[in-house]
Amino acid sequence: MSEKIFNIDDLQNINVEGEKYIILQIGPSHPGSGHMRIKVWLDGDIIVKVDPDIGFVHRTSEWLSERREWIKAVPIVERIMLPDTVHANLAYILTVEKLLGIEPPPRAQYLRSLVAEINRITSHLYGIGIFGIFLGSSTVYMWAFGDREPFIDLMEMLTGARITTSYIIPGGVRWDLPNGFKERAETVLQYMERRLKDYEDIWVKNPVVQARTINVGILKKEDAISLGVVGPNLRASGVYYDTRKHQPYAAYPNLDFEIPTMKNGDSYDRLLIRVEEIKQSIRMIRQILKDLPEGKIVADQIYNQLNPVMKKNYEEKKRVMFPAFMIHMRPPPGEATAKVEAGRGEIFFYIKSTGDKYPYRFRWVTPSFRNLPFFTHVAVGHRLADLPTIYGSIDYFPPEADR
Amino acid sequence: MNEVRKPRDPVTGHIKALAKGFKYLLEPNRMTLDYPAETMKLPPNYRGFFTVDDKKCIGCSMCEMVCPPEAITMVPRIIGEGGKTLPAPEGEKETKGPKRTKRPVVNWGKCIFCYFCVDVCPVDAFIPTQVHDVAFEKDKDYRPSYEEYLKPPEEPYKNAKKVVSKADLKRGVSYEPAP
Amino acid sequence: MNFIPIPLIIWLIEDLLYLIIFPGLVTILVLVIIIIWLERKIAAKVQMRFGPLWVSKKIGGALQSLADLLRYSFQEAIIPEKADKLAFILAPGLMFAFATIALIFIPVGPYYSALFPSYYTILFSVALIIITPIFAIIVGWASDNKFSFIGALREGFLLISYEVPFLLSVVSMIVIFRTYNYISAVQSQLNFLPGIILNPLAALTMLIVMIRTTGRFPFDITEADSELVLGLFTEYSALFFGVGMATPYVELYNFSLIFSLLFLGGWWPLNVNVMNPLYGLFLPGLIVVIKAFIVMAILVFLRAVYPRYRLDQAVRSGWSYVLLLSVLSVILSIVEVRFLR
Repeated sequence: MSEKIFNIDDLQNINVEGEKYIILQIGPSHPGSGHMRIKVWLDGDIIVKVDPDIGFVHRTSEWLSERREWIKAVPIVERIMLPDTVHANLAYILTVEKLLGIEPPPRAQYLRSLVAEINRITSHLYGIGIFGIFLGSSTVYMWAFGDREPFIDLMEMLTGARITTSYIIPGGVRWDLPNGFKERAETVLQYMERRLKDYEDIWVKNPVVQARTINVGILKKEDAISLGVVGPNLRASGVYYDTRKHQPYAAYPNLDFEIPTMKNGDSYDRLLIRVEEIKQSIRMIRQILKDLPEGKIVADQIYNQLNPVMKKNYEEKKRVMFPAFMIHMRPPPGEATAKVEAGRGEIFFYIKSTGDKYPYRFRWVTPSFRNLPFFTHVAVGHRLADLPTIYGSIDYFPPEADR
Repeated sequence: MNEVRKPRDPVTGHIKALAKGFKYLLEPNRMTLDYPAETMKLPPNYRGFFTVDDKKCIGCSMCEMVCPPEAITMVPRIIGEGGKTLPAPEGEKETKGPKRTKRPVVNWGKCIFCYFCVDVCPVDAFIPTQVHDVAFEKDKDYRPSYEEYLKPPEEPYKNAKKVVSKADLKRGVSYEPAP
Repeated sequence: MNFIPIPLIIWLIEDLLYLIIFPGLVTILVLVIIIIWLERKIAAKVQMRFGPLWVSKKIGGALQSLADLLRYSFQEAIIPEKADKLAFILAPGLMFAFATIALIFIPVGPYYSALFPSYYTILFSVALIIITPIFAIIVGWASDNKFSFIGALREGFLLISYEVPFLLSVVSMIVIFRTYNYISAVQSQLNFLPGIILNPLAALTMLIVMIRTTGRFPFDITEADSELVLGLFTEYSALFFGVGMATPYVELYNFSLIFSLLFLGGWWPLNVNVMNPLYGLFLPGLIVVIKAFIVMAILVFLRAVYPRYRLDQAVRSGWSYVLLLSVLSVILSIVEVRFLR
């Protein structure tokens, strides 16, 4: 077990394969690697050096967004962060609203938090499922992905699409809650609470899982802060920091929730903290559905630009159509940043506008990119079989890291 | 200070896990949709394939401007009687002038079904449907002509049993025959 | 020559019937096909889905394994250039052969077995059944691939650490039944109590060793999917792969036969002393094979519940907990023999 952070120069000296070290390439077409290559230097069964080779899914989202209109960056950004589309959408729109100077009405803020929390549950279930398949149990994988279905069906009922919803626009949201949504959401939440008990019996309290994950991949509190990891991995090491509490956005200042933290920082804690966060999200969704304020779902600056056909559509079907302003949006010159707590960590946006119809500089950092030090610093000193354990417990998603 | 933890409850953990697995083995709890023997009837605001209403469209091209993957192209048309349009003669691309206008055509290979075009249209001329599983046999079928685009999309598996998804306390999602 | 050796001919016919039809090769093939399908169906039912369904929809997809076998027969067999060709081609077949060969010494009825009734059938069958993993190491070394090599090393570690508890648990049953052959062991169980009640520690040890040797979860370590691509059989295709994947199930079948003869009472409700073709030969055999199949189904169900252990945890538990359990089972059986007879 490594007790200190390795100096990056020490790692460069171990490069020779020969009688002592084997180089294994857990390459792109490997069941346990995702869309990346992990080069591992092994001394018998002990890992000596890990070199993650990322960039296989780089899709130039920043370059593309700098050459398209402002509203067209919404689908691009969504499709990069695939299990967590609402948070990417929300982060981008918060930045654009800061540049434009528009404030959405309270009902739109609550609806944004509602879809964000539903998406946090699906993202954590995705992470738990992938962790299960890396450890070898296909039961938890199938259960987790099956349990995403009721939540994705809720999103389909609200927005019309399952995952890439494009629900949030500058000024508010696009659709309002249909009839029957609140009852269906309550059924789904009760189902999820019952299923969490089943997960505990068969997975969280399973002695084999505990033997595989306890004391594996320990990241201490000081190392976590100095390496810069984000999200549930940071909170599992004992650091009490969450963007929803410390720099709140949307409806979070009005909601009552807790931020779970764990003490030890090993893989078992990272599993437990995701289960706890699902419980907190269920609590928040219930509060939102109970306290939803009445009113419009777009800001007045957008509503006043709708023509009579669009206003009739809004009154009858609660559907916000786009005024021509959305195509030719030219925010005043300036720069803006926004931070949002997604399922895996925090997304950071920085956009600079020069008053043109395209953004001048579009920069965003995703949470999986910040979690890379787990490979280079934490996996060293463990056995080969611990590499999938650490990989699965940090919930690393390669397309999101490569953007 | 990290304490070294040992796995808790070694014996009862095994028994509980096996009992839970056995319980799931015995009760009926499958959540699979038996596609294509059954197909789902989707909610009315589902974002599926869409066509355009020839008479309502005014040819303003806002849909072409807003489309993120640039899937919509405007084709030149001639205004005929009753508001319907006729195809322009071959080789003429002129869209301004008396009795000349434009109409949108969607390239289904590029469309991402974000419905920005449907929502930006000032006269609400697009007609959405809930068909989502159309398959194209040839590559050129992805780029229909305007007359083909006007026809509503055909649903495959017309003889399948239609079901509606419902949230269920026991198995999450259950499927019941559609009314 | 007017001397026709009739008993010899009858014995030859019985021998061929035993080795080829029941419970020999044909039964092994049919049971392996059924148990692979059953494993996928059980795992699917626990996971709230259907499993293999569409191959033969009316009977629940039962012909899926047959379809897979057909597919493996027609695939192109690719042999890597730098592999050791003789070992590459022969090793899976030898593994399968040695997995099946233990059947020669296991009788499934009081008068139905493959050789002359011998006094030492337990020892012979146990000795043959633990040779098979050596060929697994040859399989891993022959393909020129680092992942297979690591899989072969893991198989070597595990093979050594779980051999001693297995032999000790068999020794404890030999001590209780005071015999070296299966027929007398079953006869003592019919007179007294089944072996699982007489010595539950030995039964538990044997179950754990069975899970380890045949690669069922949680000891699926040599074919660890997420660390090594497919463990030993990474470079194999076509029938080599099919045979290699079927071998653990054949080993499971033989182990289950041994288990049901030593612990579950063999042909227990039937107390026959009659040499009648149906009543004395086949019916006890059918009961033993059905009990073995139930044991196989229970072990295959574990796939749905457990993930896999790490190598050093499995090796450490083999040398500590399981060895302790087997030594305790020997002591328990010595105590029983001393004070209960």
